[in-house]
Amino acid sequence: MERINHPEELASWKSEILSERLSSKKTIVISSGTCGQASGSLQIIDAVKQELEKRGQKNKVDVKVTGCHGFCQLEPNIIIYPEEIFYKNLKPEDIPKVIEKSVLKNEIESSLVYKDHKTARLAHKQDEIPFYKKQVRLLTENNLKIDPTSLEDYIALDGYQALVNALFNMTSEAVIDEIGKAGLRGRGGAGFPTGRKWEICRKADSEVKYIICNADEGDPGAYMDRSLLEGNPHSVIEGMIIGAYAIGAQEGYIYVRMEYPLAVKHVNLAIEQARKFGFLGESILGSEFAFDIHLIEGAGAFVSGEETSLMASIEGKRAFPRQRPPFPAQEGLWGKPTNINNVETWANVPLILRKGADWYSKIGTRRSKGTKIFSLVGKINNTGLVEVPMGITLREIVYDIGGGIQGNKKFKAIQTGGPSGGCIPSEKLDLQIDYDTLAKAGSIMGSGGMIIMDEDTCMVDVARYFLNFTQEESCGKCVPCRVGTKQLVGILNRITEGKGEEGDLKRMEDLSKTIKAGSLCGLGQTAPNPVLTTLRYFRKEYEAHIKSKTCSALVCKGLIAYTIDPDKCVGCLLCLKNCPVDAISGERKKVHVIDQELCIKCGACLDVCPPKISAVAKVTGSKKARILKNASGKRVKK
Amino acid sequence: MKLTIDGKRIEADGKKTILDVARENDIYIPALCDHPILKPFGGCRLCIVEIQGRRGFAPSCSTYIEDGMDVKSDSPQLRRMRKEILGLILTEHPDACLVCTEKKNCDEYKSTIRKVGEVTGCVLCPNNGRCDLQDVVEAVQVDKVDFPSIYRDFEVKKNDPFFDRNYNLCILCGRCVRVCHELRGASTVHFVNRGSEALIGTVLDKPLRESGCQFCGACVDVCPTGALTERAIKYEPLPDGSAITLCPFCGMGCELEVMLKGERILSARPSKNGIVNQGQACVKGRFLVKDTVYSPRRIEKPMIRRRKELEEVSWEEALDFVAQRIKTYRGSEVAMIASPQLPCEDAFVAEKFAGKVLKTKNVALATGITPLDSLENLARKYGINPSFNFKKEDISQAGVIFLTGTDLAVSHPLLWLEVLKAVRNGAKLVVASPYEIVGNRYAAFWLQIKPGSEDLLLGSLSKVILEREGAGGQGIEGYDSFTKTLDKLKVSRITEETGVDEQSLMRAAEILMQGPSCFIAGSGLTQCSREDANMAALWNLVFQCKGQLIPLGLENNYRSSFEFKRNDPSKIKHVSRIIQDTRNGHVKAMYLIGSVPLDRKEKADFLIVQDCHMNEIAEYADAVLPAATFAEIEGTVINVEGRIQMFGKVIPPLGEAKPDWWILSRLAKKLRRKDFDYKKTMDILQELKKTVPAFAKINPASLRKGKTQFVGEREGGKPKFLPLKLRDRITKIEKKFPFTLWADYNLDCYRNLILSREIRGFEIVRNSRWVRLNPKDAKSQKCAEGDVVVVESPAGKFRGIVKITENIPEGTVGTSFLWSEGLEFSVARFISSQGKDSRFPLPVRIKRGK
Repeated sequence: MERINHPEELASWKSEILSERLSSKKTIVISSGTCGQASGSLQIIDAVKQELEKRGQKNKVDVKVTGCHGFCQLEPNIIIYPEEIFYKNLKPEDIPKVIEKSVLKNEIESSLVYKDHKTARLAHKQDEIPFYKKQVRLLTENNLKIDPTSLEDYIALDGYQALVNALFNMTSEAVIDEIGKAGLRGRGGAGFPTGRKWEICRKADSEVKYIICNADEGDPGAYMDRSLLEGNPHSVIEGMIIGAYAIGAQEGYIYVRMEYPLAVKHVNLAIEQARKFGFLGESILGSEFAFDIHLIEGAGAFVSGEETSLMASIEGKRAFPRQRPPFPAQEGLWGKPTNINNVETWANVPLILRKGADWYSKIGTRRSKGTKIFSLVGKINNTGLVEVPMGITLREIVYDIGGGIQGNKKFKAIQTGGPSGGCIPSEKLDLQIDYDTLAKAGSIMGSGGMIIMDEDTCMVDVARYFLNFTQEESCGKCVPCRVGTKQLVGILNRITEGKGEEGDLKRMEDLSKTIKAGSLCGLGQTAPNPVLTTLRYFRKEYEAHIKSKTCSALVCKGLIAYTIDPDKCVGCLLCLKNCPVDAISGERKKVHVIDQELCIKCGACLDVCPPKISAVAKVTGSKKARILKNASGKRVKK
Repeated sequence: MKLTIDGKRIEADGKKTILDVARENDIYIPALCDHPILKPFGGCRLCIVEIQGRRGFAPSCSTYIEDGMDVKSDSPQLRRMRKEILGLILTEHPDACLVCTEKKNCDEYKSTIRKVGEVTGCVLCPNNGRCDLQDVVEAVQVDKVDFPSIYRDFEVKKNDPFFDRNYNLCILCGRCVRVCHELRGASTVHFVNRGSEALIGTVLDKPLRESGCQFCGACVDVCPTGALTERAIKYEPLPDGSAITLCPFCGMGCELEVMLKGERILSARPSKNGIVNQGQACVKGRFLVKDTVYSPRRIEKPMIRRRKELEEVSWEEALDFVAQRIKTYRGSEVAMIASPQLPCEDAFVAEKFAGKVLKTKNVALATGITPLDSLENLARKYGINPSFNFKKEDISQAGVIFLTGTDLAVSHPLLWLEVLKAVRNGAKLVVASPYEIVGNRYAAFWLQIKPGSEDLLLGSLSKVILEREGAGGQGIEGYDSFTKTLDKLKVSRITEETGVDEQSLMRAAEILMQGPSCFIAGSGLTQCSREDANMAALWNLVFQCKGQLIPLGLENNYRSSFEFKRNDPSKIKHVSRIIQDTRNGHVKAMYLIGSVPLDRKEKADFLIVQDCHMNEIAEYADAVLPAATFAEIEGTVINVEGRIQMFGKVIPPLGEAKPDWWILSRLAKKLRRKDFDYKKTMDILQELKKTVPAFAKINPASLRKGKTQFVGEREGGKPKFLPLKLRDRITKIEKKFPFTLWADYNLDCYRNLILSREIRGFEIVRNSRWVRLNPKDAKSQKCAEGDVVVVESPAGKFRGIVKITENIPEGTVGTSFLWSEGLEFSVARFISSQGKDSRFPLPVRIKRGK
């Protein structure tokens, strides 16, 4: 295939591709994003290929390696088309069986298909799995169907049709209008209306303009953008070209963190393909529009996700944010008007232009349209990427999609928006997710991290964890963020160590307010959110930590003690042998005792004590105090 | 624009920040990271204000004013936030003294306790009393810090010259980083690490001297705390006064504010109001003033030679002795050499003394031949009228800058800052130089020429431009002969002899044609044997590009010596001529107010040294007359731009030292001259005004008020291409002498004092004894850094200390040309021994050891 110089050439190419593809041909789709590879998908790919070779099926069966399908917990998995049989958690040794049954014959190996842990029902197709049922997979669906290294796959699924539409049927104003009407809001976290953002940049008076795709996804536990870039890079590139056309930009940058090597590889390949076939470069698709994209690898600083520091980083400077205004749309990259959107936002753009703003705006709530991808992690049964329409409730996500809490524990809180977000308690489970309701609840949509916490989670410890993260990732430029978060962590550390003081909560609230109001960029302005929301919803837990030195989740080492119940202990010596500091004394068949002075609270004794005996327990608060008192009493006797 | 701050109605224009406008209107807003000369940063967050209609708080230092803005700089909430933010800053900065209730009563007890290694409070801090943080704490009224302090326990960095870096006191305002990047272009320090580990540092935490630091001291001057402290003032008391003077070390004429305790100089720093320097200086002006004045080599009493020994005598006795002896020599037997570092008045009296008292025409200025001299030669010969004046803004406003013959950042540091300004505004810098200059990385294009091939390069640039778009000068005098010469120039020859390939020439020419251009020419262009040809080639190129030619002089008052010489060329000789005449015995008595490289045997029968410091030659002298240094006199100097500035006395002369004009006029009186009856420098200036046309229009009264004026320039002259005389092939490199010797005029001296020899620390920055070699050459010659080597030609030799640097191309030996350098190490002496008019580049060889 040559460079495409006319929309018609694209159309004929597409029909050429489609005609070559027989719908009846057996195809094995192997999910192999970073998550899949981490679970062993590469071995599965090898096993599949070997097995097909061995059975002489090499040319009769297509093997397609795709990006992540979302349900990370079931990796590595494959789907066999046209029957759409979904096999999960495969090991290389399962492959002969699978090929034997489902490729050579049309049978199902039921030991490898999905089984609902509640109802015990088998589901041999993805659609039948509850995890997928309630999702609306507008963006992530194609991850199943596309080999990210193949432009043909993207073209076959109407790829670059939206670009044709924009370049040849629409003015730049009309494109912006359409995006505006669709009600698309920035998926990077703040939710600024994308159409309005583009409009400001389009109106900026400058011959040179830039657009940027922010793929510096840094929230712990969030990987929506990685999945899109790895699995469907052309959708992001197409969105960017359309955006550039709308704004009048000549150059674009994709800023990816270098910790995403697969995404970097696939995006670089996609850019090359797009250049080769005339989607990038001079005279795109034969039009007068010229645009090119460069990929920049970030060095892995969390703050680089902040738009002004991201631009500084592209310019080759230290990733320091700067005061806004001027906003990037006024003075951005190299002082020129710049529009910066997140990966997911860009990926929505071709969709809107292909299907229309009317269609798009029907999905979601009044003020938040479309879908949002969340990475659902934590103490939940089904972990993975979920794409849901705006307006879905947290309960639906947690219980219907997520399948409830692991081990039937009690749900405690959900943390959204990464380190800048907040914790939402169980009372708010029926909250309909959109930008505004989450903000009202004290959290943010953020880029889409969603961490589920159960009753074993200490909220003070959670706040400490997140604050420690932002404290370490602060760029160091402004005082409230650099020193303020450090002091906040200091107070939280004290509280979790049992050294909390009267007045600490007030001090934290005051300091948090100062950090929020005084910090330069979004990182500092949102850094205290985990503290503020946990203080708002779990204040009693803090008070218990400070006043009665109780950590009810039994997490904070400084507030707990390990003890052996003399009535249960059978004197098996297991804990005694495993104690790394020899804090346990006792003899065979005699009750063991933990010396609290020596104990370092590593929990080894608890782990090794056989469940049917379960003589070791963690205690806190008054129980701990009693144990300590007894222990010291005994010492005196000695 | 109209806006209100705290209810006060204010009108302001332009792109200003709220903080700027507030300061202009005497509204105090605390700020620590902001600095008037730096771009907004927004790091300390103390300057937050409330703006009507905007959410939250805005930092006034980085929020620009808008029409109708209503700003509140003070409110209970702002006060609370500022206190808390400042409290956070103080957790990282030793704050015991800052919030101590006894701080006012403490003063009388703390006179000497600063002499401790660890600074744990203000009373132990060298910057106590001149600390922005103290002022802000006072203003924000922090009386207690609510958070535990975090002492970071860094080792104080003391391994660089001139200043220490104690990052335990650093508040990360980033001023040092910004001044180093934004203004000085050295980019030596930056923020390192992140989060609470963030700090200021160099690449891989190397010492500053290995990180490209020029030791300009700008970072020290902007540091709001004691984190960066000049070592010289560390154990000194606080100053009780200050005085303004002009830096004597180069041609920039930077205004310095000298800090005083009584009549003792503590340190000098660039004056914020200096017209030329606006708060900036270089390593010499910033750190060397005090040590120059108080050098142990200072001559404080007149001395005469009796029974082979120099003996201290009274002024009367010394002057009588000199007068008696000098009377016995007549006319051409006497020579006088004066340093161009003398102010106009002293230089004028010296010249007048030579002419009218000594009645000799053997008068010389110890300096090289500069582009000014060459241009003047061409002007006389061809009737052109080059302008010798310029304004430094001409450089910053240029679109294209062509720099040749000097390492501007070293020779004229403040002009280099103007180049950087231009480059930041998008100007393109083209450097033509045999070696890599400081800040070469800012150049859009570097033409690395072989030493001595300047005229060929300039000629070939002219040729390329001519071929591209014509000279645009048809009909102008000299055009035909100019183009004819260029026609004969073969491209193959250019590449071979200049080392620049055709493509590079094309690209450089393309840039030069973009204009508006300015061409900066330093003495490197005219120190080689074909200075006038080089200058003519440059003149034509400038003319073709319709650019501005900026010829650079050398010493701080070089221009005045130049104007004296222009006024009566017959009076002034080149110093090497006088040296030769002394060697062969024609000159029998020498009056030295500068320095020449003559040894004991070669010296004149009667030698008078009138200077501030002792050196090798002064040791041989028959009479040594102590002159006062720049800090102890008043006078007028002309800087490289042609700007006339007057400076005043900072301290009384040390010992019995006297101003040069005083000594000379006293001597003249002893010799019964009546026209030397000066009471003060102003008398001399009035006479100067009448005598030298360039001074005719000056207004001494206005100079005295601190206003500057420019040297009067001649009128007339016509536009003209000068005949181009392209030289023959460079002489082939001889096998026995495989290296090419090249020298910079780096002026690291004050009169006869060699700064790198006599002032501790400076030798690390630059050493006039360095023999700079490419690492490959050093390897092939088996030389290690710091080795003493001998550089030889058939006619002579000198010694030097090996400095290995990538900046020097292979086959080249880079040295410094300094008249006052010690005889063994003197490149000047080496050159003058090469025979008549011998100049750079010279074939030499290197030998290890003594």
